[in-house]
Formats: sequence, C-alpha cells, structure tokens
Amino acid sequence: MEKRRITRLLVANRGEIALRIIRSARVMGIRTAAVYSEADASAAHVAAADDARLIGPPEPAQSYLNIAAIIQAAKELRADAIHPGYGFLSERPDFERAAEAAGLIFIGPPAQVMATLGDKVAARRLAIEAGVPVVLGIDVADPASARTFADEASFPILIKAAAGGGGRGMRIVESAQDLAGALEAASREAKAAFGDGRIFLERYLARPRHIEVQILGDHHGRVVAIGERECSIQRRYQKVIEESPAPGLAADLRSRIIDSALRLARTAGYRNAGTFEFLVDGGSFYFLEVNARLQVEHPVTELCFGRDLVCDQLEIAAGARVAEPQTPRGCAIECRINAEDAAHDFRPATGTVLELNLPAGPGVRVDTHIAAGTTISPYYDSLLAKLICHGENRDRARARIAAALDEFFLLGVQNTAAFLRDVVLSEPFARADLSTQFLPQFFPQWAPAYDDLRIALAAAAMTAQGAFEPARAGAIGTAPADGAAEAAVRSPWARLGSFELWSRR
Amino acid sequence: MKFRTANGAQTFDVEILSRDGALLRLRIDGEEITAEIEPAARGGALVRSRGRSLRVHAARRRNSILVAVGPAVFDLIPVEGRGARGAHGLATPEVTAPMPGKVLKVVVAEGEAVAAGQPLLVLEAMKMETTLYAEGDAIVGKVHAAPGAMVEHGAVLLELSPADSSKPESATPNR
Repeated sequence: MEKRRITRLLVANRGEIALRIIRSARVMGIRTAAVYSEADASAAHVAAADDARLIGPPEPAQSYLNIAAIIQAAKELRADAIHPGYGFLSERPDFERAAEAAGLIFIGPPAQVMATLGDKVAARRLAIEAGVPVVLGIDVADPASARTFADEASFPILIKAAAGGGGRGMRIVESAQDLAGALEAASREAKAAFGDGRIFLERYLARPRHIEVQILGDHHGRVVAIGERECSIQRRYQKVIEESPAPGLAADLRSRIIDSALRLARTAGYRNAGTFEFLVDGGSFYFLEVNARLQVEHPVTELCFGRDLVCDQLEIAAGARVAEPQTPRGCAIECRINAEDAAHDFRPATGTVLELNLPAGPGVRVDTHIAAGTTISPYYDSLLAKLICHGENRDRARARIAAALDEFFLLGVQNTAAFLRDVVLSEPFARADLSTQFLPQFFPQWAPAYDDLRIALAAAAMTAQGAFEPARAGAIGTAPADGAAEAAVRSPWARLGSFELWSRR
Repeated sequence: MKFRTANGAQTFDVEILSRDGALLRLRIDGEEITAEIEPAARGGALVRSRGRSLRVHAARRRNSILVAVGPAVFDLIPVEGRGARGAHGLATPEVTAPMPGKVLKVVVAEGEAVAAGQPLLVLEAMKMETTLYAEGDAIVGKVHAAPGAMVEHGAVLLELSPADSSKPESATPNR
C-alpha cells in the first residue's frame, strides 16, 4: 500500500477520548477538527481542536451518532481522515463506508472486517476456523437443539445475541424449565435492541477472568500483539478497573492467549488497533469477542510499553509498518472514575463540577475532559476521568493509584473515586483474587467510611446554620451552567480564613 | 439538626457543641466527636482525623448540602432545623439557634419583608459571631430574640412566613 498523508483529522467523538486523540494528532503535526453537540459547545475537546463544527442537538442519535452530519462537517472542515474514538460510531461499518465514500481515511480496521467481527456468530465461526478455543456452544438455537445442548453442557447456560456485545443482549438460564421461555424472550429482546433476533448458546462460566490482547495490524500484512490487559473487575459487564500485565498469569498460558489473538487477527485480515477478548477459566481460555477500535483502557498498555497507541493508529492508517513491541516494563493500573453514586446501586449522577483536584506526580496519568465549571449532563456516558498509575511492580502501582485516588477531589458531582480507593486497597485486590465476579463477591454493597460521613455531617451542619459567610458561586471560579439547579450553590468555606474562629494563633 | 442522606433512608442527628480555634466539638447521633479543622490554602478546609488529612469542601444546593471529604462525596438533606425547607421553598418558618450563645443583634423587625440572603440576626458563641440569613424571601413574624439574651441550642429566635406563596421558586436565593 502506498503512503497516504494525513494532514487534518476529524475526531468523531467527545469527552476524554476526543481530547486524548487531539493531543496525539498534534504531536504528529496533524491539524485537528472537533465535532460537538449543543450540549458540548464549551467542552474541552472543542477548545482543544484547531477547528470545530456543531453537528446537532444533545441527543446522541442527532449528533454523535449522526453519520450524515459528521461526514458533512468533515467535508466542510477539509479533513482527510476520521478517528472514531470508542463508543458512538466507532464500530459501525456503515460509518466507515460513508467516510470512505467521502474520500476520508478511516482510522480503524476495514469495514468488512469490522462487520464480520461485530457479528458474534460470525466471529465465533472465524475463531474456530483460526483454531482459537471458544466456549462450548451452538450457533443456532431452535428449542429442540437448544435443549439437547443444554443437557450436554449442563445448566446454567448463556444465551447471547449475535448482534450484542460488551455484555448487552445476554441472559443466563439456570434450569431446563426456563429454557424455552428464555430463548423466546432473548430473541425478542435482541430483535428489539439490535434489529437482529439471532441468538446463540454457550456454556456459562461462573468465575472467569477477563483477559484481552492489544493488537496492531498494518497494511503490509504484519500483525503484532502489545501485551495483554486484565479487565476482570467489572460491574454489569462494564469494566471498572483494568491492569497490565495480567497478574499471576502463567507464562505459557499468556503466550497461548497472545498466539490465539494473533492467529485470529491474521485470519480476519485485521488492520489498525483492536482488542481481542478472552475468558480465562483455570488453565483454559476461550475467545469472547473483538473490539474493533481503541479501548477505554488502552492507557495501561501505553504506560507498560512506553508507546502512544493513537500515534500508532495514525501511522498505520498513513501506511507505516508496525514494529514489534519492546519489552514491557512494570505494571499499570487504571481506575474509571464515573459520575455514579456507588453507595446507591451506582445510580448515574449529574451536576456541575465546583471544585476539582486532579492527582499528579511520578507514574500518575489522568485522562479527563472535566475542569471546574464543567457540567455533567445526562446525555452521555458517565466517565469523568481515567486515572492510570504505573509502578515498577504491581504493589507499587497499587499503592500509587490508592494514593492518587486519595488526592482526587471533586465537589459537585457524585462520583466513584472513594469506592475505587476502597477496592484497590482491599485485600482481595492486593492478592489479585480476580474474576468477573470480583465486585459481586467482595463488594456486594458499599458505603463510604463512617469517619468520612461524620466529617461530612459536621461540615453540613456548619453550612446549614450559616456559620460561614456563603461565597457566591462565581467567587470560587465557577459559573453554574444550569442556573435553576445550581442557583444556590456556593462554598461556605471559601471565606473561612476571614473569621475569627479560623484565625491562626 | 437532622440530616438525611440524599439517596438513602439514613437520618443523622447532628449538634455542634462548641468551637474553639480549629477544634470543633459536635455530637452525632449521641456520640461526641472532635475534629480539627483549618482553612486550606486553595479554599475549603483541611480536616485532620485519625492520622489522615482530608480536604473538605461544601456547597449548598437547592435542597441539600453537598460535601466532599477527600474523594468521598456526600449529599445531605437537612430535614429538621435551620436549612430544612418548608413547602414553599422557604426554610422552616422558624429561625432557631444553631448553637447555644448570646444574641448580639436583631437586624430585622416584625412585619418587615426580607429578601433571600438578607441578615436576620447575629449570634455570638465561643468567641465567634454567626450571622443568620433569610433562606428565601419572607415576611418577618414574631421576634422572640432580644439583644443580650442567652439562648439555648434550638431556641426559636424569630418566625417567618413566605413572602408570596403563589410563586414559591422565587424564594430560592439566587446569588
């Protein structure tokens, strides 16, 4: 393939990942263009890009999922390439085809490869063809063959939607009497959710580990693996904490998993960055799915391997050859700090960031789009910040991320930082007793420390009784965007120092 | 005063007993605790507790008080005492003493219309002055507090009624 030059990159995303992609493009001397919804006019990625276009109302369907509007913006901004980030349109072959029809380079695998791997049944067949182990299962689930399979595999079994992925479109069936009803319901749900009612069955693994391989493939037929990531700490199939390397993974098992990922990537004709996910059960491992894009948790790989995967993606798309990775160094752990109330079933939270302190120091990286004044709206995902820490070994990385979480401070939006700190400080996490059941098993319920609650009550009591001159919201450097909800916001502590009570003796 | 956690059913009884320099004594659900609180350089306060040093910030929202204690965030709704809001977006119709102390000054008179955020009276306790403000637009009712009088925690200092109950949201301070 001849070399192609990327001079202006349109980033079809928002939030921390849009900002992160813009930064790498800038490093490579590529101009950047952002797109944004009406809710994101003052967002960090818009300010960071060289140019930006409004693409529609806040609702994702009308903005960040609006293929026509994004392609139109790319043309107007004279972009020659599109990076889709993760989520939104990143795994939509029709988006890639539309981009290419408009003469744009799409940063990702070919549309046909994406389409094949995005279909769980097709991906499973391809894995079998590549000699990659898959969980015992059957493709087509008519009630009779499903019953036969279930009896052989023994309950519980898992029903999955062919068009699902990332935990969506799955259903566990505990016993034979529930099977027929569950098949029908699963097919109906899949049809409604994905427009595709095809389902398949797999044996259910009770306590697997989730281990994935970072793949890079160039346009010269070369495919390399940039190590693995352990992503077992999940909540409802959403990853919460990820790390690299996978702790305690036997060397031969690791190399068999990586070889399988490479084999499947080569068989599929994979290009650019992708993640090949596996479930590991004891000494066995099984292909789960491919995420044909950059992953949220890619920074742990970057810190261990000392490389920039977005730069890799841009170079590959421009026709460069991918080099074998260097030997990884140390351990990296990522915590996703979400706008959720961990004490109340992780209920999503919204609000305006009034006070923010981001941790820093050696081995500490924060990928975020938020700052004081940022409003967290209900329209988009709840990721506020990714905190990634590196250490020369796992214990050091763990201690570092616990300390960094203690430094993290966000007033204005309920978030999961204190929960994450308790998880990384926990004994099961220290000894790496990891499985996808980690959180249900060790943290079925969580509440902040009572000590912290008491301090909060003391602060609230002083605030409530007006013991302090309330500062105007503007006086603490924030402009509440939502006047109605935040009208009365002010920090009673802002002028603390002027009171006799607080004078230093 | 009482606080309820925003998403939960837990209620806590909190009483500030005394403040002396950085040292705060309070009683939470009958248990007496002390905390050392210093203003922090970058705003907020620094609380030293059990060998940990925590940054604490608080912000008043429409119906609750948001407090961050290090990385932990709490949303606390006043359900009784000053700060609790009545049906008309107004604080409880009575302004009570948040702590035992002496009434220094009464700034308003009976029948006077007050705007949200306007000072009502000034208390002195533990060498400090505390100004109590109107939570919303209101009409001052009976004034019980007299300058120089010693009052107990929870004593009713004055009564308020909504300024105009037909437009409740206007009672929310917008400062």
